[in-house]
Amino acid sequence: MATTMTVDTAAVADIVARYPVNRGSLIPILQDVQDHYGYLPESVMDDLAERLGLSPNEVYGVATFYTQFRFEPPGEHTIHVCQGTACHVRGGAEILQEFEHRLGIEAGGTTPDGRFDLRRVACLGCCALAPVVSVDGHVFAGVTRAKAPGILAKYRAKEEAPGS
Amino acid sequence: MRLVIDNREVEGREGETILACASRHGIHIPHLCTHPNLPPFGACRICVVQVDEMRGFPTSCTTPVREGMRVRTATPELLKLRRNVLALMMIEHPSACLVCGKRELCDKFRPKSEKAGRTTGCHTCNNKDVCEVRALSEDLGLTEIPVAPLYHMRPINRSNPFIDRDLNLCILCGRCVRICEHQQGKPVIAFINRSGKTHIGEAFGRNLEEAGCTFCGSCVDVCPTGTLADRYAKWYGRPEAGIESTCIFCDAACALRLGTKDNRLVAARAVNMGVPVCMLGRFALPEFLNGEDRLKTPHVRVGDTLREVPWDDAIASVAERLRPYVNDGFALVCDTTTPIEDRHLLKRFTNEVMKSDRYVEITPDARGVSRARLPEGTRALVTTGNFVDAGELDGLDAIIVLDCYPTAVSERAHAVLPAAVFAETEGTVLDGPGTPRPLRRACASPGQARPEWWTIAHLAQALGGEGFAYESAREITAQLGLKNSALLVERDEAPAPALNKRLARAFFRGHRIEEKVAGLRAMQGAEGRPADAVAIHTEGRFLVVEKREIVPNAHEIVIEAPEIAKKALPGQFIIVMVDERSERVPYTLCDWDAEKGTITLVVQEMGRSSRKLILTEAGDRLAHVVGPLGIPFEIKEYGTVALTGGCYGIGAILPIAKGLKAAGNRVVVVSEARSNYLNYYEEKLAGTADEFVFTTIDGSSGLKGHAVDEVGRRLRNGERLDCVVAVGCPFMMMLTSEETRPFGVKTFAALNPIMVDGTGMCGACRLTVDGKMKFACVDGPFFDAHQVDWDEVRDRREAYSFEEIRSVGRTEPVTMLHDGAHRGCGCDAHAKAGVK
Repeated sequence: MATTMTVDTAAVADIVARYPVNRGSLIPILQDVQDHYGYLPESVMDDLAERLGLSPNEVYGVATFYTQFRFEPPGEHTIHVCQGTACHVRGGAEILQEFEHRLGIEAGGTTPDGRFDLRRVACLGCCALAPVVSVDGHVFAGVTRAKAPGILAKYRAKEEAPGS
Repeated sequence: MRLVIDNREVEGREGETILACASRHGIHIPHLCTHPNLPPFGACRICVVQVDEMRGFPTSCTTPVREGMRVRTATPELLKLRRNVLALMMIEHPSACLVCGKRELCDKFRPKSEKAGRTTGCHTCNNKDVCEVRALSEDLGLTEIPVAPLYHMRPINRSNPFIDRDLNLCILCGRCVRICEHQQGKPVIAFINRSGKTHIGEAFGRNLEEAGCTFCGSCVDVCPTGTLADRYAKWYGRPEAGIESTCIFCDAACALRLGTKDNRLVAARAVNMGVPVCMLGRFALPEFLNGEDRLKTPHVRVGDTLREVPWDDAIASVAERLRPYVNDGFALVCDTTTPIEDRHLLKRFTNEVMKSDRYVEITPDARGVSRARLPEGTRALVTTGNFVDAGELDGLDAIIVLDCYPTAVSERAHAVLPAAVFAETEGTVLDGPGTPRPLRRACASPGQARPEWWTIAHLAQALGGEGFAYESAREITAQLGLKNSALLVERDEAPAPALNKRLARAFFRGHRIEEKVAGLRAMQGAEGRPADAVAIHTEGRFLVVEKREIVPNAHEIVIEAPEIAKKALPGQFIIVMVDERSERVPYTLCDWDAEKGTITLVVQEMGRSSRKLILTEAGDRLAHVVGPLGIPFEIKEYGTVALTGGCYGIGAILPIAKGLKAAGNRVVVVSEARSNYLNYYEEKLAGTADEFVFTTIDGSSGLKGHAVDEVGRRLRNGERLDCVVAVGCPFMMMLTSEETRPFGVKTFAALNPIMVDGTGMCGACRLTVDGKMKFACVDGPFFDAHQVDWDEVRDRREAYSFEEIRSVGRTEPVTMLHDGAHRGCGCDAHAKAGVK
């Protein structure tokens, strides 16, 4: 099971009410649901299927087709590792590997403690700074494998610092 | 409207597709994803055609005909395109057998497919006999796969009730998803994910049941590959005969096509595939009729025990037992699952012979329950099932049972007469609204079971009844004017249980259907599901140290067996019993380590026993490991020796290669695999041999072809080989033998017949070598390949195929173990067993 957490599905009714009840509304509704919850909880998709007269499998099938949808709650911090052309030639793949290794997850996943999301991104638009990594929108330039632990430590330390 | 297809003017119908129009006129357009019971889809692009004034290559299954259209279906360009489309599809399908140079020989030598765990080619595919991809590959002349195939190693799902699913064979045609939506409304399966990760499945990793599957089986019926399979029927291959009859599990009276093998029922499906049937009709029937505890012979009570007697004695004995109750306390109870003809005789027997009006005929309720109270004053009873409460039987002087399975009633009966039921008999039944429907005989009844009309007619005659001399049920059918009953084929909507499995009946003649059918017992929440049936308990002496699937369907298992490790020699084998109740199965020793006290096997899953072994995990203990057995391969200086290994033989030649190398031979090792992803031990073999060559049947890595091709090439080139040793399946060893024979090269084959004790006592592993009888266990396993009677080797391995297949389908603990949906390949099944 993707998640067994209980989620308040009350918002679904409001979201569905904004659209005509048909198959074609599914994607915009899913987008709104994700905006609201941060991801697509299993119980919400079941509820949504019921409201649209679809089977949960159809909803899930459509949702899994698009990379924009996620099925786990997002981590507290989102790390994007750039795999664009410039970053690629300067070792972007290695850096992604380093983060995967250090976090013990694959790109696209979330650490079991819910702290970090790891995402690959095609280009952050600051190729001159390649290879780049962004955490919660903050860009780190000229990243090397050796710098990865420092970046992670910074965000771990933030929460562990007393009073923060 | 008029249009032209391949220079032929044809008449098109409004709204018809080009494909439909062409096939109506006998013009064949190859196609794959389209299906007669489904709306057009256009996914696979095999049915592409060219149409004047249309750009590109439209799919004929989705393009409607138009007035004046000019269609070409078989231009060289189209043939090439179709072949390429199929070849691309075959990259993600175990396709080596499709392009194998020895396909015809293989089909001839071993037409049946082998019941492997993971299918890695047609020869180990349940769908081989009826595969649409295989037929298409012949049709299109596919001889090459342009890119090395990819095996996804997706978990195989063998834990859903009734349906096995191996997504590694799936070509994503979408027929299953579409038929589910088309017939059931809301599909329980969907395309999940995208691009390389796309697969058919249920939302959120649920299993079929959790997703709401009704188990109508329509997805299995339309699957063109072996991906979806009826677990019970899958290894029997194409049924020999298909009789159309009426299902009598309930009064929906669905028309079923019944497939048999060796006169036994192995499969059933709807005659009209446009409308689904319920899980009982689609899946449960063969297993229900083939139950091992069916009543097979007449039994008569002698003192405290029921004793088996011949039919004549049984009839005479029952007649004497009933005679005192003529006109005095006799009753007969039956239900409407007994055909009208048989019931007609049962009633006449009661009224005319026993001169009683206590004929009780029950119509089962919605759950199939048939219960009745005995009429006042009953002292002798004939019953055709478990219909009467035990308390009521206490006062009876005579109880005679005509039934298919033992029950609480038959246990205390004075005589038990085995009945042929359902597809084993013929006659007429009434459907819900009361229309007569024919019941036709499709298969043999077990043992000496006879139809009820036969038994009651003989009983009547023994008691002096007149007008009971019938030769067949048909005579009664004719007499009753029921000859013209017709199957219920055309129907507007599916019967209720086909759309909601909870509405399927639970009883047949007082027997709980679930008790006889593993798939029903596997249903979640089913009553009486054995909670602990999932664990294979292994508490023997022999520790499994390591286990891994080195390539699909081949498992390397390291076992602690110090005594064997100390004494083992190249070419020897051991016999393993996984638990105390397991079959004894021989496996070749691939390696051993006297210091660590371990032995290594490469085991292929090929049936129930090997499946049990591969389901063990590191830390488990095997009950018995006996060996080393067999005569070791003679290690001496031969000169140049070529060793060929295929499948498990790749592992098995390793110790021989090591031994021969150490003895000063020049060792050439040639391994063979169907495809690149099936090669293993390359480094070990390359490190041992003077020369190591590997071949793949599809040419995806190494040399294209078989190991024997390489040996033949070397011999034809004048290379000197002093000895050839082949280890693999009989087909591979037979081919090697035929190849080397004209060159007079000494050739050894390691024979692997069915073995029981492994010490030369039982004779199960008997074979003929040079006209003399040999036992593979004590005279072998190595024999002069040129002297072996290969047809006998093959035939003897097939001797128990029906029983072997049946045991795979019914192996409940094992059936329940592979929960691919939740638990990967089932390797951590023990953990699951603990959780449940």
